[in-house]
Amino acid sequence: MRETRSAQDRLAFLAMRYGLAISTVAAALLITQSLQPTVFPTPLFFTAIVLSTWYGGTGPGLFATLLATILLLHFFVSPEHTLSPRPVDALYLAQFSLPALLTCWFVKKRKEAESALKEARDHLDAKVQQRTHELRQANEHLQLEIAERKRAEDAVHKTQADLAHLTRISTMSALATSIAHEVNQPLAAIVTTGDACLRWLAAEPPKLDRVKDSVSRIVKEGTRAGDVVKRIRMLSTKTTPHKAAVEINHLIHEVLALLSSEMLKSRVVLSVELDETCPPVFGDRVQLQQVLLNLLLNGLEAMSNIDSRPRTLSVNSRRLANGRVQVSVQDSGCGFVPIDAERMFETFFTTKPDGIGMGLSISRTIIEAHGGTLTAEANADCGATFQLELPVTSGEAP
Amino acid sequence: MTASEVVVCIIDDEEAVRSAITDLLESVGMTARGYASGREFLEAQAREPAPGCLILDVRLVGASGLEFQHELKLAGIEIPIVFITGHGDIPMAVQAMKGGAVDFLAKPFRDQELLDAINRAVESGRIDREQNAATTEVQSRFEALTPREREVMMLVARGMLNKQIASELGTSETTVKVHRGQVMRKMQADSLPDLVRMADRLAAGQ
Repeated sequence: MRETRSAQDRLAFLAMRYGLAISTVAAALLITQSLQPTVFPTPLFFTAIVLSTWYGGTGPGLFATLLATILLLHFFVSPEHTLSPRPVDALYLAQFSLPALLTCWFVKKRKEAESALKEARDHLDAKVQQRTHELRQANEHLQLEIAERKRAEDAVHKTQADLAHLTRISTMSALATSIAHEVNQPLAAIVTTGDACLRWLAAEPPKLDRVKDSVSRIVKEGTRAGDVVKRIRMLSTKTTPHKAAVEINHLIHEVLALLSSEMLKSRVVLSVELDETCPPVFGDRVQLQQVLLNLLLNGLEAMSNIDSRPRTLSVNSRRLANGRVQVSVQDSGCGFVPIDAERMFETFFTTKPDGIGMGLSISRTIIEAHGGTLTAEANADCGATFQLELPVTSGEAP
Repeated sequence: MTASEVVVCIIDDEEAVRSAITDLLESVGMTARGYASGREFLEAQAREPAPGCLILDVRLVGASGLEFQHELKLAGIEIPIVFITGHGDIPMAVQAMKGGAVDFLAKPFRDQELLDAINRAVESGRIDREQNAATTEVQSRFEALTPREREVMMLVARGMLNKQIASELGTSETTVKVHRGQVMRKMQADSLPDLVRMADRLAAGQ
């Protein structure tokens, strides 16, 4: 601060400091003289020196000491008010000036220490403020980044949901013939039963008990066709993922119902063992169905060229010791080489001539988004087993 | 043959379709029996009279309908078959018809389509049975002939005159005449064309 002052300011400041020395010493002289001889002459001069050193610095301190020594000598030591001291007076003055100089030095040191401390405190303050500012900025930046990241994550989730929907649709279209068959069977039964019903009505007299049977069957089959349509619609509509408690066994049955015709066509023997004690899992029903559908279709496809052994597809569910639910899909198909066990979950990895390599990668993405795992292993004899593990409702909150 | 005497068997793994067809056939007074698989049908065959017609689903659990048709043929079981299918394609229909199916209907079909097909099937089955019975009869008569008489019958059926037959066999015309009379009597033929038809039937049966 002192350095930034202009020369004039510095001069004024210098004058002020020395003026302070002069005025304090003068004040000490006046007060001491007015109180004479009730006080010792030296203490007030000491005070003046201390004040000059404290507020004025080393120069004014020394100047005050010199001035005080001269004034003491002149007014109080030599009785003749002269400036030429006697030897005894010199000793007296030395007794005053040496401690005064020492005091001057201590005061200066003390002042310096205080200034250093003050400066350090100011510095610290500034530093703290600067740091606080920096922290606030970093925090703002972080908030922005978090928002950005959240947006990116939302975008990823949306893209994943879109992709899942697309692969679902493509799976459904591959299954179109089989699904048509699933709807057509009850329709055929309805038409034939309806014809029979008309004949029972036309009989003389109408066979009403048979009419009743026929109509009941029509209702039953109509409901069944409706159920198939409902399942298809659920799988093909585009909805944002919605997680809720899902009965995994029920889900397996629904998917198998859609696939029964496909299995028949592929001449696959199905074995289903479901653990009825499985607690509900927490997830999106449509996406989980999609994963099951995908695993089952993969199994069917893996067995399409197998003629030397039975084509069997096993679906099991069980409750694990860790409370999670495990579903495994096992086929007796061509299997895979161990090195592919992880690679096949990579996007665009496929061993099928017309595959695009999306199914398993999406399935794993879906299961991981549910907090679960999806793994594959080659069976000891033939074929492959896919296992998925899902957390149950109570273990995971939304 | 009236409708009530006709027994129709239905093989379809879909219970709903089985009962629907059974219902329809019963509404027109036929007797219908449903089976979920070819194996089930064969097991019942051992105990029950052969049906007049078989309604067979193309797509079945285990062996398909087309394979079962082949299996029946190999086993010598001749029942006229009407195929039904959820989604028939042309190659399937061609294979079925080549294998001797009477008709090939896509589900859902109208009652009259099915009933017409069944009637055609039952009729063709009846004709086949009559033909078979006639062939068997002619065959047993033919087997009652002496070797010489058989030779004479075949040559007569070829349209040869007695004189030609005598020279062919190295015997007299009179002997041929005697053999010929025996053949006509033993084969119970009313006329020469009648005998020729029998010879044709024998040739077809071999």
